[in-house]
Amino acid sequence: MITTITTFRPPLSQPGFRLFDGPLCDMADVNSGQIGVVGMPSDWTHSSRLGTRFGPEALRKATTILQSMRPQGVSIDPDTRRRTVPARDWLVDCGDAEVTAQDVEATTQAIAEMTEGLTVAGAIPLALGGDHYNSFPACLGYSRGLAKRAPDARFGYIQIDGHLDFSDRLGAWGSHNHATNARRISELPNMDVSNMVWVGIAGWVDGGDLALIEKQGGRIFSASDVHKMGAAEVMRQALAHAMEGCDELYLSIDIDAMDAGYLPGTGSIVHSGITPRQYYDLLDGLAEAPLGGLDIVEVSPPLDPSERTEFLAAEMLFRILRRFRTRPVTEQ
Amino acid sequence: MPLRSAPLPRMAGQLSFMRAQTKAICDVRPGDLAVLGVPFEDTSAPYAGQSLAPRALRETSVYFGWHANPQFSHPVDIDARQHIQTDGLHERLCDLGDISPERDKTIHTALRAAASQISRNGACAVILGGSDQLSETVKSALPKCQTVQLGGMPRDARDFHIAPLPNGSARICKSNTAAQLTRFSQWRDASKPLFVRFDLSVFETSLSALCDRPRLGGCDLDTVAQWLSALGQHEASAIMLTGLNPNRPGMGVVKVGQRLMVTALLAFIYARLGFGIDHPGRLTSKENVPI
Repeated sequence: MITTITTFRPPLSQPGFRLFDGPLCDMADVNSGQIGVVGMPSDWTHSSRLGTRFGPEALRKATTILQSMRPQGVSIDPDTRRRTVPARDWLVDCGDAEVTAQDVEATTQAIAEMTEGLTVAGAIPLALGGDHYNSFPACLGYSRGLAKRAPDARFGYIQIDGHLDFSDRLGAWGSHNHATNARRISELPNMDVSNMVWVGIAGWVDGGDLALIEKQGGRIFSASDVHKMGAAEVMRQALAHAMEGCDELYLSIDIDAMDAGYLPGTGSIVHSGITPRQYYDLLDGLAEAPLGGLDIVEVSPPLDPSERTEFLAAEMLFRILRRFRTRPVTEQ
Repeated sequence: MPLRSAPLPRMAGQLSFMRAQTKAICDVRPGDLAVLGVPFEDTSAPYAGQSLAPRALRETSVYFGWHANPQFSHPVDIDARQHIQTDGLHERLCDLGDISPERDKTIHTALRAAASQISRNGACAVILGGSDQLSETVKSALPKCQTVQLGGMPRDARDFHIAPLPNGSARICKSNTAAQLTRFSQWRDASKPLFVRFDLSVFETSLSALCDRPRLGGCDLDTVAQWLSALGQHEASAIMLTGLNPNRPGMGVVKVGQRLMVTALLAFIYARLGFGIDHPGRLTSKENVPI
């Protein structure tokens, strides 16, 4: 008699990695309150250093490896003293959206359909980029889904990023690319620029974009603000500003807000940016925020042979999802 | 005018420093910043690749040519919340191209002649190295010049050293930057030409990684930019960038070293041209961004 080895997965039954080693699941089977993962392996809307199309796979692999180092149900989160729970209890990986090269509209709608479906089902879409343009279709679907689920609801928006991404157009790339995603999001019907907050902006920015944001009530915290005020205080103020009059929060995590000395594997690197510890503290500040949807973008594995970028990004996900992936020790 | 402005992808078009106009050396005018590449490395270096640095620096500089893009409005320093006036950049910044790779002696002769001519024209040479051996050649082209050295190995006790590589006898600058700037002002003799040697090793290795001579305890970007901004306010005859090896194993795609150097160099360029912020000799006005 052959004994089944339960830890062994039959070949090709679940090829590749899933985020946090969670279950691969059809969108129709997602439950309310779960995190629904959508991959967006697209980088042709980036204007310079490519490679983020490999980001979703790298994030799935890195979170799976890190997860394996924290046995589920046994390990204790050192900061919160909470225990880790199996990913199947709180997350499903719905695979990647269909990306149509050279067709921004088709790709946009494919991503938006997935995040819309998840939002309507009461799940929280987590979109994995891809370059930062893909944040727009992810948020577009969330916005549509929110309008169906709660027609009067409004959402606030926080973007942790080294750049504003608020241009109306960018050269040959036109109106839909990695420099315009926040501008397009600002045009969605159930949100307002006065509820948009940027954290981690570094260096020089376009004066017209800056003036437009601040004229309409948006708030910007630079990397220097994080250094001077502290990450916790910055995020406290950012969250209060974004949530004023709103029901839910959409969070866009662009990893390039982190200083390139630590994190070089991204398309548009930033110097004098925020440190890993500060970045994690920023995300910890959102631990209890009413997340409606989120994305993490600009992980470009080919630009960092050391692979440290994808592990730093994976840790960002561990931080922002801590409320979901851990439980109090006393709770069964 | 810039060679080509938007909509032009960064990787396309003719490569010049920050998309600046190209010029013949005889056309360099007083007050210009004349970029000159020296794709040369000495064959005794521990790693091959420094000759690729001028191209890597130019490629990275194109990222910073965006303010010449008519689709954008004026740039603003996000921390100072000040408009940066860069109107005259493309009238005064020019790229002379590279010195042709030849035999050692020929390269040294050509570099000495070029540095000398740019200086005589009343311009400042921005020399993209290459091996730091060539900085001695530039120094010899500027009679009686004072040399400020950021990073690198100290060679002359009369030079002003900022965070030099320790060689057993040199004193590492660990005091605060403001005190060092005061000391620099006392050291500086305005009647003599000024030569700035800017080696990548001035940066903390954990930030740069692309340097053949790694060091711990180096400067961060803000400190180096502060120094270069201060030095740009003096009538420097030449600044030479050395120490970058974009070909370091496994790090060629990361480009952190060239991004650090170009970002810091911008502080020098804008101060030299009178742009920048908090520059008493500025040629253009600054205004606060209405908030």
